[in-house]
Amino acid sequence: MNRGLGLESWISSARCVWVCVFGLVLLSASWSYARDVVDPVGRQVRVPERPQRIITMAPSLTEMVFALGAGYRVVGVSRYSNYPAFPKDLPRVGSYVHPDVEKIVALKPDLCLAIKDGNPREAVEKLESVGIPVYAVNPRTLGQVMETLLALGDVLQVQNEAQALVADMRRRVQDVEKRLGTVLDRPRVFFQIGVSPIVSVGTETFAHEIIVRAGGRNVAEGPEPYPRFTLEQVMRLRPDFIIVSSMEREQVFEQVREQWLQWRGIPAAAMNRVSLVPSDLFDRPGPRLVEGLELLAKILHPELFHDLPSAR
Amino acid sequence: MTSHQQDRPTPVVTPTRMLIVTVLCALVLAGAMIFGLAVGSSGIDFAAVFRSFQGKDAVDATMWTILWQLRWPRVWMALETGAALALGGLVFQALLRNPLAEPYILGTSGGAAVGAIAGILMGLSLFPGVSAMAFVSSALSLTFVLLLASGRGGLRRDTLLLSGVMINAFCGALILFFVSTTQDARLHSILFWLMGDLSRAEMSAVYGLGVVLVICSMILFAMARPMNVMLMGRETAEALGVPVKRTRLFLLAVCTIMVSAAVCATGLLGFVGLAVPHALRLLFGPDHRVLVPACFFGGGAYLILCDTLARWIPKHGEMPAGVITALIGAPLFILLLRRAMR
Repeated sequence: MNRGLGLESWISSARCVWVCVFGLVLLSASWSYARDVVDPVGRQVRVPERPQRIITMAPSLTEMVFALGAGYRVVGVSRYSNYPAFPKDLPRVGSYVHPDVEKIVALKPDLCLAIKDGNPREAVEKLESVGIPVYAVNPRTLGQVMETLLALGDVLQVQNEAQALVADMRRRVQDVEKRLGTVLDRPRVFFQIGVSPIVSVGTETFAHEIIVRAGGRNVAEGPEPYPRFTLEQVMRLRPDFIIVSSMEREQVFEQVREQWLQWRGIPAAAMNRVSLVPSDLFDRPGPRLVEGLELLAKILHPELFHDLPSAR
Repeated sequence: MTSHQQDRPTPVVTPTRMLIVTVLCALVLAGAMIFGLAVGSSGIDFAAVFRSFQGKDAVDATMWTILWQLRWPRVWMALETGAALALGGLVFQALLRNPLAEPYILGTSGGAAVGAIAGILMGLSLFPGVSAMAFVSSALSLTFVLLLASGRGGLRRDTLLLSGVMINAFCGALILFFVSTTQDARLHSILFWLMGDLSRAEMSAVYGLGVVLVICSMILFAMARPMNVMLMGRETAEALGVPVKRTRLFLLAVCTIMVSAAVCATGLLGFVGLAVPHALRLLFGPDHRVLVPACFFGGGAYLILCDTLARWIPKHGEMPAGVITALIGAPLFILLLRRAMR
């Protein structure tokens, strides 16, 4: 009917063009506020240009974000996040094996940071289904921890801090390597992470990597990540050092230590070489692994590391 | 069961009465669903629930997400599981003529758990792999219980309970065996699952269980009259034209399918099948034409309320709903046992 007039169709198509242009402008604006990245696990994630409300779903991620100087942007942390000593009133969003998805959503984060092996997949999928981007990491070695820190620095737009942090970690690792360069004697280490039953660490763990880098040999190495041992088995392994990694209080440690010391058949007990180390420095894939390395190197080779402080 | 019949006059069941009871129970269920939607670890807000009925714009986006994408599937999962377990309890009590019969106590749930956990550890898919394993092993454990308890004079009440307890203990031992040989991340989820956990409810599982539940409960409703007759004893029932053996087998199979599907989805929730049918029987009398719909709605409402309490009570996070159902159900079991012994 209007075809004959022409003018109206002109107006309507002009309006159409306008709407399209306006829409494109809006779209490009929103594009500049979000970008697609591929996380270290290989998933495509649309993250905000500069995330402002971050939730860390594991204590190690809390440590990483704070070490990158972006701690002020964290609005919720996983239970058991205990380092660094940030304000205690930061909301807890459940433990990392059992995150409280409802609480996370209620905190309105613009980015969640997750660990692939640890955080349940269902929780991550649920978060993504309600529109919260989840950036997942999965560092398995000290080197991958550094890569993860750089990747997080990129996502959080704190590249300089990440570069500086990783450079410092590399320097300290190389320093330990250099000092150990001439050492031929690599003591046999039994690294104990569980008291009852006795649990140690296999090859695929951070503690194993640190033992090796600190100039020791892990007597429990093997494919099983957390092998269980009986007292008999430990005796037959004849470790030169027993390292008990624990968050327990000194008193419990004294008991464990006395129990070991009565078995003089174990070289470590006979030589009084049973030590307690904070477990967070050995099993938490964060920047403090380097501290763990220095600490263990000093225990295993005191003559080479006497000038290092025992813990920073 | 039989004692109720003797000391209470049986009310006449008319279609009107059935309708009234059903509507009443459905209303209670609706109330429980609203309660379940309004309460959670991030706070309680009844007003928001009602506002959100008006549309997506009436509440803020985060609240909408929490209500309808997180709490809603969970409420549905609780509804379906509660209904399945309550109906299971009701039918077991009628068929075995024992007021203490219940899927959890008779080892049906435990058997399903053994199969499901074995399936999970073998890396099977949830459907059909894990579900089939759960069904087979729960049917096996029920068969064992019935075989152990059947003597010359039919099923014996005391032997039935004891066999159930022993099969349950055996299932528990099998589960502990599996758990002690597992060392990875699945361990934690298995542990939570053993305590009956609804926090991982997904809409896909809700649909799957829903189909099973609706079909099974329709069958049970259709069989309500034979169940009534079977309460009067085998001879009477057969005289009235009910093929007792076949009917019993059929109903046990239907219940086993229903219960194992529910256990697969949510884990071990004890005593739901005990608490709900008894409470409803006290309220509405022993007629199964009333009790089947009443247990469907009432069981749903009961488990929704238990799960909501489980979300609400702890200061940090939440506890598994199975803790609450056992805390309520176990004392009730003792009470009923004392009454049964009198």
